[in-house]
Amino acid sequence: MASFINLLKNEHMKLFKRTGTMVMVAVMLLAVLGAGAVSKFMINPDTQSDWQAELEAENIQFENMLDESNQTSAEQERMQEQLALNNYRLENNKPPVNSETLWGFMIDASNLTGLAALFTIVAASSILAHEFSQGTIKLLLIRPVKRSKILQSKYVTAMMFSGMLLVLIFAFSFLTGSLLFGFHGIDQSHLVYQEGRVVEQPMFMYVAQLFSLNSVEVLMMGTFAFMVAAIFKNSSFAIGISIFLLFTGPQLVQVLNDYGWAKYILFAHTNLQQYIHGTPIVEGMTFSFSISMLVIYFVIFLTLAWISFEKRDVTA
Amino acid sequence: MEREVVVQMKNVSKKIGNRTIIDQLSLQVYPGEVYGFLGPNGAGKTMTIRMIVGLISMTEGDVLIHGKSVTNNFEKAIAHVGGVIENPEMYEYLSGYENLVHFARMSPKKVTKQRISQVVKLVGLDGRIQHKVRKYSLGMKQRLGLAQAILHSPSLLILDEPTNGLDPAGIREIRAYIRNVAHQEQMAVFVSSHLLAEMQLMCDRIGIVQNGKLIREEGMNELTKADEEKTIQLQVNRLEDAFQLLNNAFPTADIEIIQDRIIISLRREYLPSCNQVLVQNNFDVYEMAQVQTTLEEKFLEVTEEK
Ligand SMILES: Nc1ncnc2c1ncn2[C@@H]1O[C@H](COP(=O)(O)OP(=O)(O)OP(=O)(O)O)[C@@H](O)[C@H]1O
Ligand SMILES: [Mg+2]
Repeated sequence: MASFINLLKNEHMKLFKRTGTMVMVAVMLLAVLGAGAVSKFMINPDTQSDWQAELEAENIQFENMLDESNQTSAEQERMQEQLALNNYRLENNKPPVNSETLWGFMIDASNLTGLAALFTIVAASSILAHEFSQGTIKLLLIRPVKRSKILQSKYVTAMMFSGMLLVLIFAFSFLTGSLLFGFHGIDQSHLVYQEGRVVEQPMFMYVAQLFSLNSVEVLMMGTFAFMVAAIFKNSSFAIGISIFLLFTGPQLVQVLNDYGWAKYILFAHTNLQQYIHGTPIVEGMTFSFSISMLVIYFVIFLTLAWISFEKRDVTA
Repeated sequence: MEREVVVQMKNVSKKIGNRTIIDQLSLQVYPGEVYGFLGPNGAGKTMTIRMIVGLISMTEGDVLIHGKSVTNNFEKAIAHVGGVIENPEMYEYLSGYENLVHFARMSPKKVTKQRISQVVKLVGLDGRIQHKVRKYSLGMKQRLGLAQAILHSPSLLILDEPTNGLDPAGIREIRAYIRNVAHQEQMAVFVSSHLLAEMQLMCDRIGIVQNGKLIREEGMNELTKADEEKTIQLQVNRLEDAFQLLNNAFPTADIEIIQDRIIISLRREYLPSCNQVLVQNNFDVYEMAQVQTTLEEKFLEVTEEK
């Protein structure tokens, strides 16, 4: 019987022999380079010259707003927090991270995971749907291999590709950042407000945390696209609907966040940065609640993909 | 003598919606036999093949391959099978060779590099195997399709219209190959086609399918010899007189004049007396030849009757 490794080799061969795949990798790298070039050469550097004055101005603004006190308690809490952090910086002479440093650039680059989500959607949809549209699914399924194993090998390959893109952004932005901005400021720490105190964290940990939190969205949207492709066997549809939801889903939750049930929508949880920057999109949600919801959605997506692939008559 | 059956279809039916596409179809294919599955377009040939290889489910019945059920024991059953279903679609962005490596990796037994090159040579693709399939002609894809089907030396080879798109030399090669693997290596071959002449040349047994039903199944010998009545064309002098004479001598026979010949249908045992009557009445017989009742006529006859 064919081993799972052989199936993975096949899927990798098919994925990487397609022109589109290498184009996606190249675009990914170019995007990192482009972001580096923009922060290095296009953004006016002297906006950062007097950080103390800026933070003081910000603090005055916060204090005024707190005096008016027409915000929700969550908003007030956030301002208090920001005030505390700004004061800590001013007192200890710790400037905020400049985007023209390695860490600053990597924090910006962590947003490029959105592009990775896009490409993961494309790869996860087409790895399945192409077999149907090309008619090769017939030859693939008349082998002594369980359909579920074939499906697994495709899912794992799509996710390995996705992981590769994420690692690539991380590593390549580190490389680009260090070449363009050098290593000054490498010892800067990240400040967090914990239980009423400001705590210093290694910046590297913070950057890694941003990347890992963003990866969750990539994983979930890739899995969603994979499911849609398994059910409808059509890559354009799977790509279209997944990308549409990738962009509009979070807005949708924003609009609906007055309703209690909005917290059961997938997109209330895909952006986990909400737990380190600011307040949860729907009031009262916790990190562990979000993780549970994500796990539930994840299991549902894969189960639906499996059921429809396993049972379906193949008439392609 | 009890022969081992390679494929056994037992009362297989397929309904899609409330249409019955395949209706209570049963058949067997034995080792060393080329079974021709013949039917007009839309008869259900491809549908039947899809059920044999487990691509679609059966509404009723079961298919056993070497006694293993395709429904309940798929991996065991399919391990013995190689095939091409409908068009020989391969991965266009891979080379022919990469396609073969791909399917070799999924084989139940190890397929060596030597085996791959052997198969490539056998189907006549040696010159082009490193090229992308995108650049192949239909005939070349058909050959590559055959190559992936026989890579793991299956004991059942299923081919859906395998000569589609092949040139005459290619058709002859495939035919020779099919007869060879069946008769030399005792492989069972199940071939579908809507072309009779072709089936006639390569099959040992033919099943005719129409509207999802197997309506006739005969060994090639039976099918052509089933009727003892022979149709003969005669070339003689004094055509009209000869026609009258034969009409009187054989009042029940169909006789007609077509151009410069008499066409007469007679039971085999009357043929000598037909000749005798003519000679005794001083006709000069220039030619007396059998008009072949081709399978084609038979096929049309069978499939056209509603
Ligand atoms: N996906 C489907 N859904 C419903 N009916 C179908 C489907 N696919 C095929 N059919 C019907 O099943 C019947 C048999 O089709 P099939 O493809 O098996 O014919 P065939 O004998 O292979 O014909 P051909 O010589 O044209 O290849 C046809 O009447 C066709 O309309
Ligand atoms: Mg067909």
